[in-house]
Amino acid sequence: MSALGRGGQFLGDVGRSLRETDTWVSLTAVQMRRIGVQSLPIALFIAVFAGIVLALLSSYSFTGAVPLYFVGTFVGKAMMLELAPVLVGLALAGRVGANIAAELGTMRVTEQVDALETLAFNPNAYLVVPRALAATAMFPVVVALATGLGIVAGWFTAINLLDLSSPDFVKGLRLFYQFKDVWFGLLKAMSFGFVIAMIGCYKGLNTRGGAEGVGRETTAAVVMGAEMILVLDAFWAVVLL
Amino acid sequence: MKRRDELIVGATIVFAAVVIAAGALWLSDTRLGGSSDSYQARFRTVGGLGVGNPVVFRGVRVGRVETIRLAADNWVETDLRVYAGVPLPPRSGIIAASRSFFGEWQATIVDLEQPTEDPNVRRDLEEALAVGGDVWPGATLPDIGQLTAQAGRVAGDIASISSRIQTVFDSNAVVELQDAIRDFTGIADNINQFTRTQTEIMGDVGVNLQQGSDVLADAALRLQSSLARLDSATSAGELSSIFANTAVASEQARGAMEDARALIGIVRANDSTLVRLIQGADSLIARLEQGTGTLGLLVSDSALYTEATLTVRQLRTLLADIQANPRKYFKFSVF
Repeated sequence: MSALGRGGQFLGDVGRSLRETDTWVSLTAVQMRRIGVQSLPIALFIAVFAGIVLALLSSYSFTGAVPLYFVGTFVGKAMMLELAPVLVGLALAGRVGANIAAELGTMRVTEQVDALETLAFNPNAYLVVPRALAATAMFPVVVALATGLGIVAGWFTAINLLDLSSPDFVKGLRLFYQFKDVWFGLLKAMSFGFVIAMIGCYKGLNTRGGAEGVGRETTAAVVMGAEMILVLDAFWAVVLL
Repeated sequence: MKRRDELIVGATIVFAAVVIAAGALWLSDTRLGGSSDSYQARFRTVGGLGVGNPVVFRGVRVGRVETIRLAADNWVETDLRVYAGVPLPPRSGIIAASRSFFGEWQATIVDLEQPTEDPNVRRDLEEALAVGGDVWPGATLPDIGQLTAQAGRVAGDIASISSRIQTVFDSNAVVELQDAIRDFTGIADNINQFTRTQTEIMGDVGVNLQQGSDVLADAALRLQSSLARLDSATSAGELSSIFANTAVASEQARGAMEDARALIGIVRANDSTLVRLIQGADSLIARLEQGTGTLGLLVSDSALYTEATLTVRQLRTLLADIQANPRKYFKFSVF
């Protein structure tokens, strides 16, 4: 309960820090590049192989009564609704969450955060808000590109490795498509990004005990970020589907 | 560095936005730049029809289902987006039906001037049409699941029947059936032979009938001749004479009958005398049977009969002797 209370207080402090736009606006673009753009390779790599595996697994499962064009349906639905947001989110929970927690933890244990406070900078506005906003904004971008590339990879796999024509794959892809599939995945990605960034920042700013503490808090940030991704995944599925 | 970061981030965001927008439009099969018309359709139920499902006309996709909502009086209304320029029938209706066994549905535009054969669809269309308004009437065909469930029940019944047939039609039944067929073949041979025999007999009968017919014709001729002779005989009065004699005989018989009736009347008048006579005779016979009385004793006692016979014989001897020697027994003297 005390952890929840501290987390709520931290969230409130960050919300109040949003008013200090002069501090965080100029720093956000940098964080967006570090958190979003630089995460694209790992996200796209995951998406490509997820798409390939989805196409092959679905064709393996659909052999028999189910027509093969449902491979397109399965690849599209799975990538948009679940696999791209969750896999990319888990990957970025490791990369981004660990990065933020380690960076801020190191700044805490080396008293750089204390120096910021001494210089009358709000650490939340200077360190947390840009990262949280960047993650919240860039996670959907990364997930969107990953989703597209994953579907294309599945499409390419279906055409070349399966006995499926391109029109059939597209037919299956369009079969049960709704625009909700797109924004549902992006909304999930947005929430994942926000939570991962906030957990990383919280853990990093509360690091104690030198390098060992940095490592401990970094690990905790990654684990908690991954857990929260799964919890949020279930939450959005219950609320929106 | 910061400027470069902003450019890279901005480009990435724009690229992602384009990917999302283009992908969404492409997946939804939205035709950018192409105008479309919106129509409403009214259903009792839309079954598995969903937003985004295709609208087809004569098998060609001409639009998509835009929205589905519940309406008043237990109706369901849908908005259909149909591409502009599609030559739709003047009186259109919508039939929602599944496209395949896997839950894909579509809305098919039909011409109300060409009535459908399905009575349920026709009834639903007429019901929706009766509400009026600028809304297409809609009907929904049964779900594939319902049809397959029905087919499953039919298949189950067939399987049950097959099982029963299998139970009845075992190897023994096959052997018996073979025997029956063999017997039937024998019966057919017998019938064939019988028919052949009967045919020959019928031929003989036919010949006999021919002969009999000839005989009958001959007899008829003879009868005709006899009748002619009878006719000639009756014309001379012989038959009248016979009838007259018969009438006389009959009159005499009637007289005899009257005599007999008179005799019977006499007998009836003297029946008490006859009764007494019969009773006396009966009494006499009874006494004879009992052996009482002279006759009874004579009849029942053989000694008496013998004695009586002996006495008669002696009397005859005595009478003969008297006749021979009357003086021996009679002596007449005058003095």
